[in-house]
Amino acid sequence: MRAREPDAEGYVDRDGVKLHYEVFGDGEPTLLLMPTWTIVHARFWKAQVPYLARHHRVVTYDGPGNGRSDRPLDPAPYGCEAQGRLALAVLDATGAERAVPVSLSMASQWALWLMAHRPERVLGSVFIGPSLALGPGHTGRAEPFEEPYTSTEGWAKYNRYYWQDHYRDFLEFFFSQCFTEAHSTKPIEDAVGWGLETSAAVLLAENDAPWADEATLLDWCAASRCPVLVIHGTKDAISPLRRGKRLAKATGGALTVLEGAGHIPMARDPVKVNLLVREFAGSLAAGGRP
Amino acid sequence: MTAVKELSGARTVPEQTRARYPDATGYAERDGVRLFWERYGDGEPTLFLLPTWSIVHARFWKAQIPYLARHYRVLTFDGRGNGRSDRPAGAGAYTEREFAADALAVLDATATRRAVLVSLSCGALWATLLAADHPDRVTGSFYLCPAVGLAPPHPERAVHSFMEPLDTDDGWARYNQHYWLRDYRGFLEFFFGHCLTEPHSTKQHEDCVGWALGIAPGTLVDSQQGLLLCGLERFRESCARVRCPVLVVHGDEDAIRPHAQGAALAEATGGRLVTLAGSGHLPQARDPVRVNLLVREFVESLGGPAR
Repeated sequence: MRAREPDAEGYVDRDGVKLHYEVFGDGEPTLLLMPTWTIVHARFWKAQVPYLARHHRVVTYDGPGNGRSDRPLDPAPYGCEAQGRLALAVLDATGAERAVPVSLSMASQWALWLMAHRPERVLGSVFIGPSLALGPGHTGRAEPFEEPYTSTEGWAKYNRYYWQDHYRDFLEFFFSQCFTEAHSTKPIEDAVGWGLETSAAVLLAENDAPWADEATLLDWCAASRCPVLVIHGTKDAISPLRRGKRLAKATGGALTVLEGAGHIPMARDPVKVNLLVREFAGSLAAGGRP
Repeated sequence: MTAVKELSGARTVPEQTRARYPDATGYAERDGVRLFWERYGDGEPTLFLLPTWSIVHARFWKAQIPYLARHYRVLTFDGRGNGRSDRPAGAGAYTEREFAADALAVLDATATRRAVLVSLSCGALWATLLAADHPDRVTGSFYLCPAVGLAPPHPERAVHSFMEPLDTDDGWARYNQHYWLRDYRGFLEFFFGHCLTEPHSTKQHEDCVGWALGIAPGTLVDSQQGLLLCGLERFRESCARVRCPVLVVHGDEDAIRPHAQGAALAEATGGRLVTLAGSGHLPQARDPVRVNLLVREFVESLGGPAR
């Protein structure tokens, strides 16, 4: 059951990959709530959609690999540029000439691609817990992904073979690291459930698509011109706050640090996140449009 | 308002911020025992959110106060033994008659002529006594998960003695005074685990354990022994004298007090029964919106002029 049902929905088909999108509300500007790692699907925005749709046109879609979208086992559609082009295809299909992408975690790369390559389509960009190659990640995650695992503890579970052997256990571990805040049993249960809607095979295909390297990311940051807001938690155990800081600096954007927040604050601090997104979108509407 | 609450012994913990702060606070005093009350809002009628067993204090109504105070005058007080009320010693200080007399003293201290009673669990004992003995002061009684002996307890709770030393700490054997004095924290974890059977209750559990640390284990033993003094026949007789409208709300998964006890109370008082599917013993904490709307609906059903 949902607090808010979509007003319209449909599919886009790009290069044989079918993606499901939903549209809520009709206020300007359009907010594009992007997918992220395909371990979850668009319902991870469930605490944003009902509020934001009262003020904005909100577009969500399931990325390749989960939800009601196809689950390609070829890495190609999961790459940065491919993801950027899929986002464009959704904007086209929903008639959104311009939009404010709101991205979580690794989707920061796809939002940056959009900002650099289709600046005329991007009014402003909100990044939440950006996970991208701007500086080092957390230490303690150096377990080899491609070697057969020799331990089953902690980040050793982040492993090609462990995913295939113990997919659910990996999901439970991973989301426990995403939600470092106390009293997160419900968001963890939700996320594990979404993770179970895809498979280790899909995550492995996705994993084979390369991430943008630091030089490329910095080029994209330099090429982008729109206002930027970066939201990052101090207790983000997936992507350290220093990356959010660097992203804000490289894009000339504003940084809002959420004290005590983990990697997915939209689930654990939804009101705060919603108000930040609304305030940001409102500031664009006031100054940025004819 | 001070942000720090004095607890029994040397412990102090900062109180959490509140969604709604009281408009007035004070103490009622009865036989040398001070009772701390709070008033929120000023609508009509007055809702009197009664204390329950002193294992928790008035903050257990925290999810009701902000909503109800937008419509009504809401009165709460910490039951003797916890919160900012005094901690008299001895089982005799914790009978249902003492709690009912405390409630009356708070009504008087706050110049409240009449009120709608809202009670949880053991609070049903004093709510019933108050409604039976002071019909002019009580315009309706709303019971949540009443802990009343009108129907048998859960069978697993009837196995072990509260008073006698036991040779096991398993399950409901923890509901034993010797165990409480030996491992109070262990008892709290067990007890609130059974109060909050719904998934995702970690926050409510943490709150309850925190409030329960506000009463010394020995005082809690006194309070439990005081409740054991409540006679069933006398309670039945009180039920029969209740004349005001009654609504009983009881979860069908209540692991502390069976739903049959709520149903029996509704029958004994001529009241209506609402069953919450899947709810445990503390629906005011786990289903606050539902409970708040039921309270509001009940209050509105009492009619304006009669208030």
